[in-house]
Amino acid sequence: MDDRKIIAFLCNWCSYAGADLAGISRFQYPPNLRIIRVPCSGRVDPLMIFEALKNADGVLVAGCHPGDCHYTSGNYVARRKFALVKSLLKFIGLEEERVQFDWISAAEGKDFAVTATKVANDVNKLEKWDRWGWSR
Amino acid sequence: MGVEQVNVLDGIKSAAREVLKENKAEVILGFTKGTLSNKCTPFFARTSQDINNLVWESGCNLNLAKYLLKTKKKAAIIVKGCDSRSIINLIKEKQIAREEIVIIGAYCPSTEGCPHCHYPDPVIADILISQKSEEIEKDSFNVNNENSLNKEFSTDQKIDYPDIEAFSAIPREQRKDYIYQEVSKCIRCYACRNVCPACYCKECFVEENLPGWLGKTTGIADNMIFHLTRAIHLAGRCVDCGACTRACPAGVNLSILNRKLAKDVKVYFSLETGMDLKEELALNEFRQDDPQPFLIGGGKDG
Repeated sequence: MDDRKIIAFLCNWCSYAGADLAGISRFQYPPNLRIIRVPCSGRVDPLMIFEALKNADGVLVAGCHPGDCHYTSGNYVARRKFALVKSLLKFIGLEEERVQFDWISAAEGKDFAVTATKVANDVNKLEKWDRWGWSR
Repeated sequence: MGVEQVNVLDGIKSAAREVLKENKAEVILGFTKGTLSNKCTPFFARTSQDINNLVWESGCNLNLAKYLLKTKKKAAIIVKGCDSRSIINLIKEKQIAREEIVIIGAYCPSTEGCPHCHYPDPVIADILISQKSEEIEKDSFNVNNENSLNKEFSTDQKIDYPDIEAFSAIPREQRKDYIYQEVSKCIRCYACRNVCPACYCKECFVEENLPGWLGKTTGIADNMIFHLTRAIHLAGRCVDCGACTRACPAGVNLSILNRKLAKDVKVYFSLETGMDLKEELALNEFRQDDPQPFLIGGGKDG
């Protein structure tokens, strides 16, 4: 079960730095995450999430807290997109835990470790992902 | 064709003649008889004789707004409800200029094909030939102006997507099976995109090669990603005219994804697309207090 891959899109300014802090602070979290650094959570095109699910079992997207975006409004714009993506994926029958979103600041190393652990555990508990029907 | 529709057609024709005569437009976009019965074909009328060939009947169910995008000349367009909403969106997205077009509006002649349509009346028109009733129009504007931010997740009674709600209620595995089955029919001809008035990108993501975002196969995975992304690109922009579903040669139920997102846009952001020239498109703006139910823990910690 531990071989499940989770792609994590982390924004450069907050969540990636949060992950860094988790490392520096020696907080443990499962090794399932594969981190992709993006300039802003607003850069995370829904297409990137869908494509990631072709080869990974789960996706985590994290950015700065609303109001703290390095580009002022990137995560506000992303927030509207994410609300629709999450709801659409649920609608077409994906498990809610498969794709998760969170806001993690650069100071929240502990929160990053907690979130990463939660997402990894959630995805490990799910039945095997069929990779958009490829392995059916 | 009933007596009433003949009168509407006469009204359209005389309005079109007037527009040509006064030189307000060089071409009239409308419909003429198609080669198949009950299917009308788009028609560019340039002279007074051409106008005799215009029709307005139940086969006129394409979205003519698409053809405005390709018309370089000053054009007049004959619209029903969905065409007019598409035009509003195209003006907002600066694809066409309001002053370059003349809109001749009439009540939709083919309502029976669209069971969920709420707006058979033109929303915007310079010359209004016919409409169903004042009441419907008033009602639709009320929905639009209502500020329902405070009750963001309560089920609004005016939200009317019975098909989407019924589909959401069936078990998850069955939903997934249905969508997989629908999407695997797709032969990736992109007819849905080509006929859609909201799809006007010079280079569509499906054709980009560097980077090649999307696989070109008709395998289920590529098809799923194509249809999901297509739906997301149209979120808050699709007016649910049904042109894509009618154009699809494989009979894919495309509208289910589009309608789901239209419903979400209405529930989350209290917006309905193509109703008002001043209103921003849903994904072009944001509010500080937008709902964030997608977050881990349901977004309560904000």
